[in-house]
Amino acid sequence: MDSGFSLALQGRPPVDFDWILRNLSGDIIPAFLEHLYLSLVPVAVALAISLPLGILAHRHRVIYPPVTAVAGVLYTIPSLAFFVMLIPIMGIGQAPVLVALTAYSLLVLIRNVVTGLDSVPAETQDAARGMGLTDRQILFGVELPLALPVIVAGIRISTVTAVGIATIADFVGGGGLGSLIFDGIGQQFLTAILVGSLLAVAIAVSADLGLTWLEGRLRPWARRAGGAA
Amino acid sequence: MIEFREVSKVYAGSGEPVVKDLSFEVPEGEICVLVGPSGCGKTTTMRMINRLVELTSGDILLGGDSVTKISATRLRREIGYAIQGIGLFPHRTIVDNIGTVPRLLGWDRGRVRMRADELLDLVGLEPGQYRDRYPAELSGGQQQRVGVARAMAADPPVMLMDEPFGAVDPITRTRLQDEFLRIQQGINKTIVFVTHDIDEAIKMGDRIAILEAGGVLAQYDTPGKVLSEPASEFVASFVGADRVLKHLSLVRVGDVELDPANGDAGSLPRLGEDVSLRDALSELIGAGAERALVISGGDEVRGEITLDGIRQLNRRSGG
Repeated sequence: MDSGFSLALQGRPPVDFDWILRNLSGDIIPAFLEHLYLSLVPVAVALAISLPLGILAHRHRVIYPPVTAVAGVLYTIPSLAFFVMLIPIMGIGQAPVLVALTAYSLLVLIRNVVTGLDSVPAETQDAARGMGLTDRQILFGVELPLALPVIVAGIRISTVTAVGIATIADFVGGGGLGSLIFDGIGQQFLTAILVGSLLAVAIAVSADLGLTWLEGRLRPWARRAGGAA
Repeated sequence: MIEFREVSKVYAGSGEPVVKDLSFEVPEGEICVLVGPSGCGKTTTMRMINRLVELTSGDILLGGDSVTKISATRLRREIGYAIQGIGLFPHRTIVDNIGTVPRLLGWDRGRVRMRADELLDLVGLEPGQYRDRYPAELSGGQQQRVGVARAMAADPPVMLMDEPFGAVDPITRTRLQDEFLRIQQGINKTIVFVTHDIDEAIKMGDRIAILEAGGVLAQYDTPGKVLSEPASEFVASFVGADRVLKHLSLVRVGDVELDPANGDAGSLPRLGEDVSLRDALSELIGAGAERALVISGGDEVRGEITLDGIRQLNRRSGG
């Protein structure tokens, strides 16, 4: 395939800017937005599931092993197989992709929620209770703020993973930047492949950088202490 | 002010009580130190007052009312709470840490800030320099000062302190203890103070409750009584073989009856009236003298203290 591909490039510029401009609003931008949707919605949904589940598992330790066992099994299913398995139930399109990516995100997110909550010093919680904060006030005022950096780190890993896996969504009719990449491969057209890949990388890198920045912002106390020391 | 009535605590699933039939009273404005070896239930005893641990039987009265009658969170907001280690909220600035309970009680920002500044001043931290810092930016000793300030924030009549000066070096601890005693003279809180260190107990306590294994009260008395009349073998060994010297360290030379000074004073050691009997004894033995002159602040001879006199004082107080 390699040699055939290079043959197909002969006589054409490696990157066809004209094609990019012509297809920008018709194909490229919709594929980009679809990709954002395919990768970000599952992380958001998974977070909405993982946060209460993680808080519960932190409080009632017995449910933590079974929860992580189920999430762990889901995590090990190869992505393409997962999409295809879901087709009999939900048909082709975005639905199997959204469900599979949500399932993938659960393990990392639940673990990070629990790890984050575990990292809150026991004396801090004891002091909070001893001063008369209610359970709710301790959760939202002390535990979650202190766990937030670890939770955001989990969101970062999940997001980057989802952006990557979403590139094969088009195999089951899910669309996204994968559609550009697969069309490009099929038509031996390098520009489409490059545009699809680079945009996927751009989403992943900017999500990673953005969330890393956020992680730092969420613990000004550590940053300032580091600066002072 | 705080009254324990036959209080026991048995944890579910264990037959042995950790605290057994505890009855004692802490008068208003006094510091009561709970002290004993580890596992004696001293922290559990303290935590039953603000119901971080629920008592199994008996009752604890606070100003005449049972602590079990009001909600635990309301009770806790009326009791200052300071603990060992980093009980401070690492994600909140010093002013927000101190303002925790006042905010819960609905104080507005301005009032919280004023109170925080006042307390920072009281515990010897310059408000302008420290109020907007995070706990991690303070030294261990400074954090413990903030912990004490936070416990005092809403001016609660009762304070619970669990080894509040535990996590610092001995020199800083001594300074924090002295400062706290000075503060207490001005605020007269009723304080329950937990420590495992008998010397700290003797220094800080108006009264000392010595607990032994199984949460049994071995003795509840003033430091002087505990040292001069230990109620049991256990108490005697817990306070240590040097209890006579510890007792002498509680008494100042100026507070005892002195012999009149007679004539040939030139060669005698001279002691200030603030010197403890323990240090006086040490001076006398060190100088190889039988007696020393006691000098008042105004450089005036108040009288003489003799080795024999110290011996008799100790005998009279039961040692």
